[in-house]
Amino acid sequence: MNDYSYDNQTVKGFILSSLFWGVVGILIGIWISIQMWNPSWNIPPYFTFGRLRVVHTNGLAFGLGLGAIFGIFYYITMRLTKRPLLFPRLARFHLYLFNVAIALAALSLLAGMNQSLEYAELEWPLDIGVVILWVIFAINILGTIIKRREEQMYISLWFIIASVVAVAVLYIVNNLSVPAGLFKSYSIYAGINSANVQWWYGHNAVGFVFTTPILAMFYYFLPKSTGLPLYSHRLSIIAFWSLVFAYLWTGAHHLVYTPLPDWIQTLAIVFSMFLIAPSWGSVVNGYYTVAADWSKMRTNYLTKFFIFGITFYGLQTVQGPTQALRVVSQLIHYTDWVPGHVHMGTMGWVTMIVAASMYYIIPKIYNTEIYSVRVANTHFYLVLIGQLIYSVTMWITGIQQGALWKAVNPDGTLKYTFVETLVRNYPFWKLRTIGGIIFAIGMVFFIYNILMTIRKGKSLSASVA
Amino acid sequence: MRMVEDFDDIEAFEAKETRDRLPIGWLILFWGLIIWGVIYFFLYTPQFGGWSQEKAYQESVNK
Ligand code: HEM
Ligand code: HEM
Repeated sequence: MNDYSYDNQTVKGFILSSLFWGVVGILIGIWISIQMWNPSWNIPPYFTFGRLRVVHTNGLAFGLGLGAIFGIFYYITMRLTKRPLLFPRLARFHLYLFNVAIALAALSLLAGMNQSLEYAELEWPLDIGVVILWVIFAINILGTIIKRREEQMYISLWFIIASVVAVAVLYIVNNLSVPAGLFKSYSIYAGINSANVQWWYGHNAVGFVFTTPILAMFYYFLPKSTGLPLYSHRLSIIAFWSLVFAYLWTGAHHLVYTPLPDWIQTLAIVFSMFLIAPSWGSVVNGYYTVAADWSKMRTNYLTKFFIFGITFYGLQTVQGPTQALRVVSQLIHYTDWVPGHVHMGTMGWVTMIVAASMYYIIPKIYNTEIYSVRVANTHFYLVLIGQLIYSVTMWITGIQQGALWKAVNPDGTLKYTFVETLVRNYPFWKLRTIGGIIFAIGMVFFIYNILMTIRKGKSLSASVA
Repeated sequence: MRMVEDFDDIEAFEAKETRDRLPIGWLILFWGLIIWGVIYFFLYTPQFGGWSQEKAYQESVNK
């Protein structure tokens, strides 16, 4: 037993903030998906596709994603180090600053302020805010780990440390720029250097926001919620070190068949393929862990979130490396295949594991049970179906698009005009919107369940007091 | 809010008997990809294997 007062309020604050930005981001996702087949849904100047798309990606990667990561990392770190946070008040300040930053980010993007670097769109004053935010977070997490009261470091802590360190380096390097006024700046990189640095950043944003933090959650909450111990400690450690080693070399796979020097492209392809091994190290470890008792898939409602989540991670980490290969890249690059890849990862892996972690944490904080397992199951099947519709439709239309673009007449001219290839997307884009709506309804069930659990928890603690 | 909670039992997080196992299929994958990577790197780096994007393009146009 311990009688520390863990800072559960900050954790909960981050979780609720994350859900709030998640709702905003998902609604905008549906909106932009409609704009793609019905342009009258554009409302210039603020609500056009170009502006809303960045609010969608930033809102979900940084609002939903980072919000969840901040809160859940604080939660896990306190438990694994067996001590309260080093600076609880600073963490609370971090929560407020985070919400202010995301709100300003969304407004500035709607206003059209944009560095034109994907996932690094925010202009320099906000970049400074983000760096301060991250330093606060890093001091608290790393400080708490250094001052830990449990000597052994469980694998989740390694993934946490890697995420904290890597994002700091990536963000600062890619955002170096010369300000030209308060709302405008010019990147210090130009031409092919700019492209190379941008995708080194862009891919590792995927790696250290959508992969390593989610693995930290997976490794912690899978044993916690199933009661099954992790199959192999050694496998998890080797998978960790080889993953972080390889990830940072792979960014150029976004620039296959560009003027980037051939050897850099080749090197990135090699490391991308290698990534299958460390990624599947975690997948296999998850499967073997639950293989100790597969009946948990039926008896414990959270198990399936983790097993399906890690399965989509496994598929994602075979599909991704394959996309890096030249033969595949020349077909699918620039097509709708890529959003299909993206959303299997974000909807099937990231939000699945994040939701499961929240399902675990919220009842724990209130010392109660989840409001309704049935609602959780409904949530699960809806987001699963929504995600599958999204990914599968985009893969089909992406391959079709690529094939039409590549088709040539005997004299070497293109067989299809661009517009001819575009209109063939329409039925698939409409289906995607339906998939998105199903996914969003699933998320409504999820949020309802969380809020009802909080309500139940509050009335419980009131009746005890 | 002050609440009492059991400490995590770090020992219980990891299975004892299988703690150091590395599945053989996974090891084959791991080393196989490294070997594949070395070969591919030499074949597709202009300075070593002679292949280049530019040459491949010319060949495809002349076909
Ligand atoms: C071994 C792991 C992975 C590899 C090697 C990989 C590889 C790739 C490649 C080659 C592309 C570029 C496709 C193109 O434009 O031609 C891509 C795009 C993308 N991937 Fe993955 N992927 C991996 C895992 C993941 C995971 C787990 C996620 C999680 C959500 C993810 C999210 C994304 C995103 C967001 C993009 C789009 C980037 C953009 O163009 O804006 N990937 N990936
Ligand atoms: C209702 C659910 C969702 C819908 C309808 C939706 C829709 C869309 C659409 C239409 C695009 C633009 C694709 C294009 O430009 O061709 C997009 C891009 C993107 N979305 Fe979503 N989305 C949803 C959920 C999510 C979630 C949950 C996340 C992250 C956690 C996410 C992250 C992204 C990212 C990173 C991109 C950029 C991909 C790229 O550049 O290739 N989305 N989404």
